[in-house]
Amino acid sequence: MGIQVVPRYGKSFKDKLYLPAIAGGMKTTLKHFIHNLKDNNNLRTMQYPEVQPTDLNERYRGVHRLTKHEDGSEKCVACFMCATACPADCIFIEAVERFDEYAEKRPKEFKIDLLECVFCRYCVEACPCDAIRMDTGIFSFVASSREDFVLDKKALMTNERSKDLNNG
Amino acid sequence: MSTSSIIIIIINIVIAVILAVGLTPLFVWWERRISAFMQDRSGPNRCHIGPFRLGGVIQSFADMLKLIFKEDFTPSHIKYKFLFTISPVIVFICSFLTFAAIPFADVLVIDGKENIMQAIPTQLGIMWFLAFAGLSVYGIILGGYSSGSKYGLLGSIRASAQVISYEAAMGLSIISMLISYGSIHLTDIVNAQAGTYLEVVPMWGIFIQPLAAIIFIICAFAETNRAPFDLAEGESELVAGYHTEYSAMKFGLFQVGEYGAMSASSAIIVTLFFGGYQVPWLDTQAIQSNINYVILAIIIILPIKVYFLTSWMKKNNKAIGSDKSREKETKILTSSFWFLAITITILLISFLVFGLGTNGVNIATAIIQIGTFLIKFFMMAFVYIWVRWTVLRFRYDQLQMLGWKVLIPLALLNIMITAIFVVVRGS
Repeated sequence: MGIQVVPRYGKSFKDKLYLPAIAGGMKTTLKHFIHNLKDNNNLRTMQYPEVQPTDLNERYRGVHRLTKHEDGSEKCVACFMCATACPADCIFIEAVERFDEYAEKRPKEFKIDLLECVFCRYCVEACPCDAIRMDTGIFSFVASSREDFVLDKKALMTNERSKDLNNG
Repeated sequence: MSTSSIIIIIINIVIAVILAVGLTPLFVWWERRISAFMQDRSGPNRCHIGPFRLGGVIQSFADMLKLIFKEDFTPSHIKYKFLFTISPVIVFICSFLTFAAIPFADVLVIDGKENIMQAIPTQLGIMWFLAFAGLSVYGIILGGYSSGSKYGLLGSIRASAQVISYEAAMGLSIISMLISYGSIHLTDIVNAQAGTYLEVVPMWGIFIQPLAAIIFIICAFAETNRAPFDLAEGESELVAGYHTEYSAMKFGLFQVGEYGAMSASSAIIVTLFFGGYQVPWLDTQAIQSNINYVILAIIIILPIKVYFLTSWMKKNNKAIGSDKSREKETKILTSSFWFLAITITILLISFLVFGLGTNGVNIATAIIQIGTFLIKFFMMAFVYIWVRWTVLRFRYDQLQMLGWKVLIPLALLNIMITAIFVVVRGS
């Protein structure tokens, strides 16, 4: 292997003067300033409430949802794997017996406290039946009281896959 | 003392107060928006009263209101409550008084009586500036010392060491300016910058003494404790430096003091090195004898400027979505700008038609010179903000190295060269 010689800067007279470097930097900033002042469409800032982000992808962890079978019943079998995997202890499941052909158990109630949730996606990884997912693309969840942040089964089942993601 | 001179003194004081203190919200707005534009961001633009956003300037007024109504909290560990309270006041008063000796226009002659266009009609000029610019650091030192916190103390120690080393170089660079101008009175200094070299280059200080100009501008940046010399604040290592323990309007006064110092420094830089109130290529006599042509030029230029401003506004003041308030604001502002421009034009045309008396010509000259001064002043303030958002903060030892080993020897050399030049030329 050859020796890579890294050139050292800052020893020449021009470098020691500092002023040419400062002038160069000021030229760059002024160029950006004038470019943006002429037409503020050049700014990279997204005017958020009016413009929504469009770059959500499959790996984005939004608010949870419970997936459904064809007939609209929940896929969840109340195995408590997600509640066990949850590092924030924010999943509360109440299991009851199930009488259709899919499984033996189903959750009577399935609650997620979004104030405690750390959006780590461990519940999605833990789920053996692909019953819980975080692909709703909802990134701003607001409510006016603490109780409203606890999503129950009904709310979780009404959440749908984000339209920004390719549906399939 | 006649009525006219009293009115002129009041006007001067009002201009000085507005430029030194009243512009703080505007400069805060500039600071935010210009820095944002330099970094391809948008900056604060949401705050509004009705449809008026005015490009975000409302935000700085809102911040000011917030600071006024916040609880004025003094931490319980502070022993020297008096010093703690008085130090932001010192910073504020000093930066405000620095502005008092800046001439806004040439000596205004009304009915044969001469009025100096300064807030305080003193002949001290540059001495007054040096005195109060140097004094304002006492506020920073006392504030950091009486805070009773290590960060505050470190910040104030840095500020005092920095001011000692840079004040010396600043004074030395001013001495070479005084040798070439032969006066400490700022009006005399500005009048000495009136003519041109070879009918091309205006005889500004920066062309007479480029080295002194560079040294002075660097030292003025250091004097105002702004980037790249804001080690006293140094938020990356000292939390907020000397104003760590301050809150509410005490902190606000430090802030106002900083921007006041910035205004005062840009005003003194303009006065010493960029011809002050002198219109380039037109000295006071030339304006007074050709006042009709000058008014005509303003009548032609003003609508063009307003046209460019309004079309720029129409292009850039847009909202996304169904919100119509931006269009409304643009419409209101455009019509008010045009109303203002047309009023001024009609006023100027009436001056052209009916003619101005001797006093009128003098006053018109003074107003034109104040306008010129303001344009230069705002450009220099822009340079301050521009430099802050370009140049990195110095390391502390490099700062002292620059002050003692580079700037002071250069300033001494400059004095030698200037003195030899003046002695050889005999003038």
